Amino acid sequence: MADGSNFDYLFKVVLIGDSGVGKSNLLSRFTRNEFNLETKSTIGVEFATRSINVDGKTLKAQIWDTAGQERYRAITAAYYRGAVGALLVYDIAKHATYVNVTRWLKELRDHADSNIVIMLVGNKSDLKHLRAVPTEEAKSFAAENGLSFIETSALDASNVESAFQTILTDIYRIVSSKQLEQSADPIKPSSGDTLTVSPSVDASAKAGGGCC
Amino acid sequence: MRDDDDDDGGGDDSDDDDREGGADTFEDLGAELFVDMPVVPKARQGAAFVRRDAAQIANDPLRLLRRRAGWHSRSGSLSSQNSRSSSPHHGEPTEKLRREQSFKANRRHKFLECLSREDVDMVAKVAWSGIPEEFRPIAWPLLLGHLPLPMGLRSSTLERRRGEYQSLVDLTSQIWHQIEIDVPRTRPGVQLWMHASTQRSLERILYVWAMRHPASGYVQGINDLATPFFEVFLSAYVVGTDPRLKTADTDPEEIDPSILPPPVLAAVEADSFWCLSRLLNEIPENYTTAQPGIQRSVKRMAELVARIDAPLSEHLATQGVEFMQFAFRWMNCLLMREISVKNTAEGSDAFSQFHLYVCSAFLVRWSDKLRAMDFQMLLSQAFLLKSIWHNAQSHFMGK
Repeated sequence: MADGSNFDYLFKVVLIGDSGVGKSNLLSRFTRNEFNLETKSTIGVEFATRSINVDGKTLKAQIWDTAGQERYRAITAAYYRGAVGALLVYDIAKHATYVNVTRWLKELRDHADSNIVIMLVGNKSDLKHLRAVPTEEAKSFAAENGLSFIETSALDASNVESAFQTILTDIYRIVSSKQLEQSADPIKPSSGDTLTVSPSVDASAKAGGGCC
Repeated sequence: MRDDDDDDGGGDDSDDDDREGGADTFEDLGAELFVDMPVVPKARQGAAFVRRDAAQIANDPLRLLRRRAGWHSRSGSLSSQNSRSSSPHHGEPTEKLRREQSFKANRRHKFLECLSREDVDMVAKVAWSGIPEEFRPIAWPLLLGHLPLPMGLRSSTLERRRGEYQSLVDLTSQIWHQIEIDVPRTRPGVQLWMHASTQRSLERILYVWAMRHPASGYVQGINDLATPFFEVFLSAYVVGTDPRLKTADTDPEEIDPSILPPPVLAAVEADSFWCLSRLLNEIPENYTTAQPGIQRSVKRMAELVARIDAPLSEHLATQGVEFMQFAFRWMNCLLMREISVKNTAEGSDAFSQFHLYVCSAFLVRWSDKLRAMDFQMLLSQAFLLKSIWHNAQSHFMGK
């Protein structure tokens, strides 16, 4: 785990969505390639990191996995601070969790940076026979709201890698283009430095939506 | 609907005044009840059978008394209906029928009078001899104190009470939904908690507690708090937990509770419920909105650590680590996520007063290691902290 301090960028990403949609398993699948059918509910917040490479750069994702229950909203809102990305997860087999996506978007609007890159994630795609949310419906909802969209299965690992890769790359593109704008000679953090990027209020971040 | 809105407000009062005046006014009112109900009983389907002003009546039931323009034109069909229902004979009303009608008219009149006077006591007196059918939807809620009579209060009170009810309904289904999700993932992997019988018991304990405590309802983590009680009480009924007996140890965590006689299992469940309730009574603000009890405890813990281990406290601050980020769960689940049930049970013997100090003591105990970690290490490798807790059980038991 101590992949230590060799990274070029550090991005804070939050995992949000209703209780029981599989946020914690998405995290463990991505960071440890593990899936556990018997997971305890998340209380407060849990963390994990993993680094990926994009364009020869090392992007380190610091992922904050939050509790889904309504009662925790007051507490979890504080966890959005400094987050540059959010994976908003619902369960494709539970329609109510998809309906609540709107409420989660409001949470983000109220508490997160306005330029946060959001990806809508329909998890549990392995439950084909129980599907309650059509892919096309979620896809067009995402497009209307400027979110990228993907369906994943933490259980069979499909698209989990791709989901995190996509959102981290999106964030990286925005951040690096911004650095180019700001300076002809962008400051590259030397290895070991912690650069927590919080995008400033800037129109360029709006590009973060278009992944699908 | 919309044309009726015109005679809202002031018109209401003058109507009431009129009604006080004479017997034919209430006749009008009685008539009105039938006006919107189609006399044709065959096709009782669809919206045609619902009064056009249903929404307004729901908003203010006294609207049922409202006189409508144009009722006269339909009163003919009405009186024929009346006579049909009250007498087997058609044609001239008999003396008996006339007396009956006059009696009913009198009662209606009295009702209207006390309604217009906003006199609920009088409504109660008049109701003693029976409430005219068409006034029942008004009289019952009035007499039971659900509907206030003063005009200015009626709509707002009903709206508030109906809203309250709706939120209770929503709360109930939310609570059940959350319990259903959490019970199967309470102490997952431990045999006892995977048995249907244990899970049903836990569901009932959590649901009943939540129903009795609507300000908190069920909050994730309360399920964890219930587990030591259930296990400890269960252990009283299985062989081998008494160290003086040399029989093979039976770990309550390996039992299927359905093997117990039903009254015994019911006792384990009930005792667990009451002890969980007592425990939660000690921390009433831990699970209410925004969880102020936990926020306070976390704040106190931060202050305590700052006092007893300033370097650690400063290190955490420099690294941008907030106590809320790691200590929230310690408070929310009273360390039951961090240490085994067996140790929780031993610790709980003297735990209730000292939880905060135990949390702080643990943190300080590992001060050297923690101070060597940066934010990444401290938080993203939360498993480290977890294993620290795990290995610290001997220390914990020693204290």
